[in-house]
Amino acid sequence: MPARFVRFAAVAFGSLIFVQLCIGALLFYLLIGFSAEEVMEYYRIKSFHGLLETLIPHLLFISIVLMATLHFLAFVQTKDNGEKVRLSHTLFILFLVDQTSPIAIAQGAEIFAYVKIGAFLGFELVLGWVWMIIFTSSLKAA
Amino acid sequence: MKFIVSKKLSDTPVMRIILIWMFTVLEGVLVLNLVAKSIDYGTSLGEWKSVIMGNEAEFIDPLPLSDLVLQVHTDLFALIMIFVMIASVLGRSPLPRQLKVFVLGSALASLLLYPLGWLSVTWFGSASVAAGAFAFILFHLVMLIAGMVLIVGLIRKRI
Repeated sequence: MPARFVRFAAVAFGSLIFVQLCIGALLFYLLIGFSAEEVMEYYRIKSFHGLLETLIPHLLFISIVLMATLHFLAFVQTKDNGEKVRLSHTLFILFLVDQTSPIAIAQGAEIFAYVKIGAFLGFELVLGWVWMIIFTSSLKAA
Repeated sequence: MKFIVSKKLSDTPVMRIILIWMFTVLEGVLVLNLVAKSIDYGTSLGEWKSVIMGNEAEFIDPLPLSDLVLQVHTDLFALIMIFVMIASVLGRSPLPRQLKVFVLGSALASLLLYPLGWLSVTWFGSASVAAGAFAFILFHLVMLIAGMVLIVGLIRKRI
């Protein structure tokens, strides 16, 4: 596959995912809010079925997005392969914690409101970091 | 992602059949998405403006920002996936390089303009609605044509 096309694909996919992350964060702010009280208030009244309606499409689509994002790491140089493995584990764990913590909040475990906010912000930051690695390596290869 | 790293897709008969079916279904998704949008928002720019910005004369309330953001968020997930699937195969096709750059560049630009247009409706009003609607329709048309080219190319074993 031509390196130029890989660079285009990385830039195109990265910019689209960046816009989608910003819209996701805006939606989180508009619907819920970033304080623990607002998160608790929002999820406490949700039924299990209501939570699944959001959880299922997010699990499906974000796992595909992570697979597509992380496969670009195979084309770029990092310090060692261990860094790629660590980033992959971190992203998937943060993603799963972020998506499943509302179930615990709805069951009354209010501490998970803080876990949810931390995992959400951590996920966005680590994903941004991965894209920085991909972009930087693409520019070096150009 | 084997189809991304394979040299020629038609050399693998199973992959060729899978991709022909996948792009056929994606063509259907694109058409149905346009139909669904026309049912939700209307078929003219005036109707789109009325739904998103409201219309006092017809007692239509503007769409709440959270509903608009949710709609764009959901749309964008599906449209990014369609773009990635079509771009990953189109990039390998033997079409002229300038044509591929034009098709993928215009699809990417319209896919970025669609959410940015609609979410800036507070500041730019009806111009934003028009930009978002134009980008949404342009993306679907470009992807429909690109998908059709890929289906024909795969059937004729040119890709």
